[in-house]
Amino acid sequence: MRARLLVAPIPALLLLGAALLAPGCAKAPALDATPGPKILRFGNGTEPQDLDPHIVTGVTEHHIISALFEGLVTYDASSEGTAPGVAERWETSPDKLTWTFHLRPDARWSNGDSLTARDFLRSFQRILTPSLGSEYAYKLHHVVGAEEFTKGKITDFAQTGFSAPDDHTLVLRLKHPVPYLLEALKHYSWFPVHLPTIEKFGPADRRGSRWTLPANFVGNGPFVLKTWLSNQMITVERSPTYRGAVTPRLDGIAFYAVDSEDAEERMFRGGQLHVTQTVPLGRIDAYRSQPASPLVIAPYYGTYFYRFNTTRPPLDDARVRRALALAIDREAIVKNILRAGQEPALHFTPPYAGFTPGEVLRPELAEARRLLAAAGYPEGRGLRRIEILHNTMEAHKVVAEAIQQMWKTGLGVDVALRNEEWKVYLDSQHSLAFDVARSGWIGDYPDPHTFLDLWVSGGGNNNTGYANPAYDRLLATALNAPDEPARMAIYRELDAIITRDLPVLPLYFYKRVYLLSPKVRNWSSNILDNRGWQYLDLAN
Amino acid sequence: MIAAPATAPSVPPAAAERPHSPGRDAWLRLRRNRLAVVSGIFLLALAFTCIVVPPFLGQGYADQNLSLGATSPSAAHWFGTDELGRDQFARVLYGGRISLMVGFVASLVALSIGVTYGAVAGYVGGKLDALLMRVVDILYALPFTIFVILIMVFLKEPMNDLDAWLRRFDFLKNLQGIGKIVGLFAAIGAVEWLTMARIVRGQVLTVKKMEYIEAARTLGYSHARIIFRHIIPNVLGPVIVFTTLTIPAVMMLESFLSFLGLGVDAPLSSWGTLIKDGADKMEDFPWLLIFPGGLFATTLLALNLLGDGLRDALDVRAAKD
Repeated sequence: MRARLLVAPIPALLLLGAALLAPGCAKAPALDATPGPKILRFGNGTEPQDLDPHIVTGVTEHHIISALFEGLVTYDASSEGTAPGVAERWETSPDKLTWTFHLRPDARWSNGDSLTARDFLRSFQRILTPSLGSEYAYKLHHVVGAEEFTKGKITDFAQTGFSAPDDHTLVLRLKHPVPYLLEALKHYSWFPVHLPTIEKFGPADRRGSRWTLPANFVGNGPFVLKTWLSNQMITVERSPTYRGAVTPRLDGIAFYAVDSEDAEERMFRGGQLHVTQTVPLGRIDAYRSQPASPLVIAPYYGTYFYRFNTTRPPLDDARVRRALALAIDREAIVKNILRAGQEPALHFTPPYAGFTPGEVLRPELAEARRLLAAAGYPEGRGLRRIEILHNTMEAHKVVAEAIQQMWKTGLGVDVALRNEEWKVYLDSQHSLAFDVARSGWIGDYPDPHTFLDLWVSGGGNNNTGYANPAYDRLLATALNAPDEPARMAIYRELDAIITRDLPVLPLYFYKRVYLLSPKVRNWSSNILDNRGWQYLDLAN
Repeated sequence: MIAAPATAPSVPPAAAERPHSPGRDAWLRLRRNRLAVVSGIFLLALAFTCIVVPPFLGQGYADQNLSLGATSPSAAHWFGTDELGRDQFARVLYGGRISLMVGFVASLVALSIGVTYGAVAGYVGGKLDALLMRVVDILYALPFTIFVILIMVFLKEPMNDLDAWLRRFDFLKNLQGIGKIVGLFAAIGAVEWLTMARIVRGQVLTVKKMEYIEAARTLGYSHARIIFRHIIPNVLGPVIVFTTLTIPAVMMLESFLSFLGLGVDAPLSSWGTLIKDGADKMEDFPWLLIFPGGLFATTLLALNLLGDGLRDALDVRAAKD
């Protein structure tokens, strides 16, 4: 008992002490004192769901996969334009429906196998295979027969519009012109995967097999997977077989899984990271006023929103959804919590040149209350408690707590928060095991279509249970529009349908807010926050 | 409220001229221990503040003022405000309610399970004793925190149902997350009783050989009556001491669970969650850590000093060491 007396307060003091001392502990090894290997240390947010390009859906995974694989085309050094990837040149038929890609004859996989048009065909076949259930399969549906193949209406892949006249030529026949096709091809859903490797570790349509482990991995990108320490980091090193237009200058990249922005920021200050994923909300102002600040606030083509589970009462009632959407003071969230110049989102599709929203939300508490009462829940009476699901990150929690309070005081709606780790969260979201889920969507290519095709009935990234045949029909006409203004007009109408039906609750349009070390050279960033890793360099 | 164990064994002042009873001796000894007295007064004042003051603050733990944001301590907000503009003073006081409540209730849970279990084992003896104590040994061998975490995860769904049910009553309506707190009581109480059971069993083994127990048995009293009327009152000293030392341990455990995100749900806060949030932001908003952290550390210290004083006062043998 005597020992116990002493022991009890000590952990308390340790807890406090550890908390106070933490920044001191962060003084970790300084960077590159000697000109060693040039390793870029990149704060990548969270542990990736997987490294299989046909399985994943997130931005986190995109960062790593775009280093490990290369598609037909890739980013140029400015990250705004298009540079040859596996295809060294390409041409389009006058009707813009047939695209012919001539592949680099010396293209290789990281195990030395040569990379041919057949690899692409087999990869496209894999992502479209119904039994794989890839969330992103719909990205390839522009090609003739692809959609029918995914739906099982065609079983012979040769009947689709993908073909390879010879080993180094790939032809895509589209069902409608896709003005942004080259941009779309830079997305991982179009990347080739090495089928012989995948098949060595299980059937091609099995998810989560062991082929993505470092010992087994085969890719074709500028970097190749070296180590994978779960929940810590993934390192990639320069691929000896990569024969792109540019040889990577970095020796490797370390992708750190840190889902606490405070820990990440301390690592950056201690010199353990060159680039962070985000900045703690409380520190943005301090960084902003700093001279030669490492803070970067850049445009980011994405929307931060809450998904409603439209299959669960009471959220299956559009009036309830609208009431919840109207009761939120987005201005206060953006100005007082986020503080990096984000725009309140009063409709879903983020601003884009030529696109104007057809309808916007007019937040008004009185109207929200009226709608909730009309739905049978005056002042929130009789409404069950609603749960907001978010993935582990302080900023999501703060926003959720603000919204929790707005719904509570404004509408009398009880809200609980549920926090889940990234993979579990993705799973809950996909299996509709939530009431309201925090979400973000970053464009896969710079065109509003990447936001609007989310809500197609049964779409892999729909995750709300929303299904509207009229919407699907209108979306299908968008790419057949004769010109850009006509296409934008259809987008406008689609966006207005979403604003009316509200399967999601738009909150704000993103800004990319991060810290960047001055040691990083050739850094570039487009509105999708993508770049070719092969261009980057580090100062000694 | 906290000093209750200290006053319980005492006798009213009116009886001062009576011969010295052990309880009165203990009370006198405790009073001579200044640290223990100061600690007791501090704890009483703290408990009083946490229980009585919050409704009069005019601000709840969840009331936000987004345009205010995080501000340092001022006349309007004594402990400053957090990022959502919530008054930290209110949050610390409401958090104190939760932390103190968890500390006391979970200790009481541990106390009742431990005393009953230990007394039965010690009194019956033989095979039942061996069996009961082996169960304790096995539970002891389980990694304690993992066990609590498992219970918390396992109880999550039933507790949500309980929560929904409890909140149908008007007076509990505003206590969001009450189910989770009940879950915390159960989880922590379920692991904290083990040492108590061992201590009580050891004491009972000594006491049950005494003549007055023999006498009670000869008079034909039932076993339950003998245990609860004759044995337990005579082993109460060590039990009281151990309980005062369990309370800070339980509060630590609660804050630890909250630190891991298994504690109370937002927007409710306990000292553990406040310290966790404060620790993340201490460089920018140090007051978010200093106030709950300082108060928590002081409370633990006071509880330990009081427990120490009680041990010296009640446990004559230990005091002679």
